[in-house]
Amino acid sequence: MVFSSITFLFYFLPIVLLIYYIVPNKFKNLVLLIASFGFYFYGEPIYVLLMAFSIISTYIFGRLIDKAEDKKQAKSYLILAIIISIGLLVYFKYTDFIIQNINLWLANKIDLIHVILPIGISFYTFQMVSYLVDVYRGEAKVQKNILKLATYVSLFPQLIAGPIVRYTTIEEQLEKREYTVENFSLGVRRFVLGLGKKVLIANVLGEVVNVFLASSEKSVLFYWIYAIAAMLQIYFDFSGYSDMAIGLGKMFGFEFLENFNYPYIATSITDFWRRWHISLSSWFRDYVYIPLGGNRVSKLKWIRNIMIVWFLTGLWHGAAWNFIMWGVYFGILLILEKAFLSKYIQKLPKVVNIILTNFIVMISFIIFNGNGINQILENIGGLFGVKNIPLVSTESIYYFKSYLIVIILAIIGATPIFKKIATSTKIEKIINLIEPIYLICILIICTSYIIDGSFNPFLYFRF
Amino acid sequence: MQGKIKNIIVVISFVAILSIGLLANIIAKDNEISTSERRKLAQFPKITVKKLLDGDVSEDLEKYAVDQFVGRDFFRGIKSYVSKYAFGQLDNNGLFIKHGAIYKIEYPLNKEYVEKVADKINDVYKKYLENMNVYYAIIPDKNYYLEDAHLKIDYKEIQNIIQNRIENIKYIDLLPELTIEDYYKTDTHWKQPNIRKVVSKIEKGMNLKDTSKVEYQEKELGDFYGVYYSQIGMKVKPDTLKYLTNDTIENCITYNYETKETGKVYDLNKYNTSTDKYDIFLSGATPIISIENPKANNNKELLLFRDSFGSSIAPLLIENYEKITLIDIRYISSDLLENYIEFNNQDVLFLYSGLVLNHNIFK
Repeated sequence: MVFSSITFLFYFLPIVLLIYYIVPNKFKNLVLLIASFGFYFYGEPIYVLLMAFSIISTYIFGRLIDKAEDKKQAKSYLILAIIISIGLLVYFKYTDFIIQNINLWLANKIDLIHVILPIGISFYTFQMVSYLVDVYRGEAKVQKNILKLATYVSLFPQLIAGPIVRYTTIEEQLEKREYTVENFSLGVRRFVLGLGKKVLIANVLGEVVNVFLASSEKSVLFYWIYAIAAMLQIYFDFSGYSDMAIGLGKMFGFEFLENFNYPYIATSITDFWRRWHISLSSWFRDYVYIPLGGNRVSKLKWIRNIMIVWFLTGLWHGAAWNFIMWGVYFGILLILEKAFLSKYIQKLPKVVNIILTNFIVMISFIIFNGNGINQILENIGGLFGVKNIPLVSTESIYYFKSYLIVIILAIIGATPIFKKIATSTKIEKIINLIEPIYLICILIICTSYIIDGSFNPFLYFRF
Repeated sequence: MQGKIKNIIVVISFVAILSIGLLANIIAKDNEISTSERRKLAQFPKITVKKLLDGDVSEDLEKYAVDQFVGRDFFRGIKSYVSKYAFGQLDNNGLFIKHGAIYKIEYPLNKEYVEKVADKINDVYKKYLENMNVYYAIIPDKNYYLEDAHLKIDYKEIQNIIQNRIENIKYIDLLPELTIEDYYKTDTHWKQPNIRKVVSKIEKGMNLKDTSKVEYQEKELGDFYGVYYSQIGMKVKPDTLKYLTNDTIENCITYNYETKETGKVYDLNKYNTSTDKYDIFLSGATPIISIENPKANNNKELLLFRDSFGSSIAPLLIENYEKITLIDIRYISSDLLENYIEFNNQDVLFLYSGLVLNHNIFK
């Protein structure tokens, strides 16, 4: 079930909210647990068992690590638990990819297993690993109540597309949450704005991306429209989802950490990755990069560490070479930036840095969305008019005109301008007056777009 | 204080909208069909254990929830207006309004589909029609007559593709015979009273008797909301449904090969009973239907391979023929035609609209 669906908005959510607020506090976690399993079962009926198995395994190993007689024993339990968790992820997500790549070298091909990726497995696996490592490190207290651990892992707002909520973030909230009208209202605002980002911006930009991909009348203008629209689409899609998750969390009394912080105003790639999918990059930092030694090692090892992290970050996004290329591309850029480019970057005007960073990121998403190296090179080359393609075509001019306002709105929306206005104390009175009105309007308009449009799943579901 | 009130209003209105939506959707009766969208609506799915475990139920339920949402047409209207006026989008699901008329983008040209249509015509020709008088003509979609800034397919290219793949079939160029005024404002089709120029061009191209002097009475049935009207979800003034008739046409008898029923050329009941009022012309879509003209006695017959545009032009061609058989190979495989039709030196006309040529929908 996606958040931007009628079944979620007008059936699941009101019913769950109603029951949640009627039952006494001691049953609230149970309500969430049942609702979350129902939510997952609805989309992944069989794989709900896989998730349950993972939870039980994590619970048991968490207890074992906690009770271990010494560090060594605890470490063995941790390694075993991670092998099981990551093993399942590898099996369900990467087996066919691995076989395909082995087959390139074999005369007798191995058959593919054609296993379907369980939705959200990449997200909840990482959550469980973070929990186990934190327990091992003594940073989190072991959870002795399996229902609470299950509630944490399966919590439907963040289950299938993140953010990757750390156990330590909501450890206390699992025991005790505060409910205020203000928090609920903030949750509603966050959720509705996220819904608007997804339905009114990302989906609409997705249409022009699809038109481009299907078109045989490519022109330089069309390649640029595609590159910019695709870059904005993925941001609005994914950050919209995170907003909805954070908003829903608030409605149920949880405080999740931010996952995005206006990545398209970043002034360098290092800055970009502090602002983009924060829960994933900080996961890799804390559970891979730092354990490998981080930057407190020799230069060669440091380069190795960065490349490992970015190879894995790419691979995490999907079992395909374009994702790996995407990760490695960022790895190389980060090394260059940290090694010597940052000196020069600092001397350039901020605007130039923002434009350069966005250009690099735009190219990265062409790689990310590319279907094979040829298409990637074609889509990058098209921006510069290689192969003598025309500058414009009738089709590209038409779609440029048709999507111009949406693209401009999206560009403005990717900056903190709206937020600055909405939180300005000078016009607080006006904001108080119009906020309920625009939220209701966005909700109704989103509903009308969902009713009119076809089924449109989130981009980040496949990861 | 003000902030507190705001928070209360936000929470109450959010919960109220979702709850009212929930209750209204539970209480409201489901509809079988949507008259405005002219289609069957998804019904509450049958839930079996197998479907549940396959994960099919969730998709079916979502379709059901979207299709049966209370006030569906109202919400679709909101979307149309927002996309046009707030986002300045030039079209909504490919539809747009220009000078009070609704258009649907028919773009780009699917060359391979046109090639398939040409190959199909060739197959039919080789199988049944060799040494007969065979012609083809193309009816452009109405975008063709809009000014140049719009996306439209190149009909010269369609003609070239077809010409290069078929032999012994003569082309009749209808493009200069139509204007934007000749199409309904809210529908894909042409207006029957406006296509006498087209009839003349066909008669000339096929060496038929000139019927431009034949008199018809123009009859008016009332408002006509075409297929685009229902799709776009915005308010546009309707067309008027008119048809041309005279004694010859009134005396003609139709025979539907599928239902085995006889009838009249104009099925006026359809104006009140059919969701598509254009069905008054020869009762709407069907695989094979013939019109017999008892007045003709000239032994001349026409086989008209056609789409829905053919239903309204066939009555105006009947002056020249004792019998016209309209064949729609979207609904019957051309391999089966010999079971129903005797091919013996009739005139043959393949008459297709760009809308059919650009989509691969032949059986």
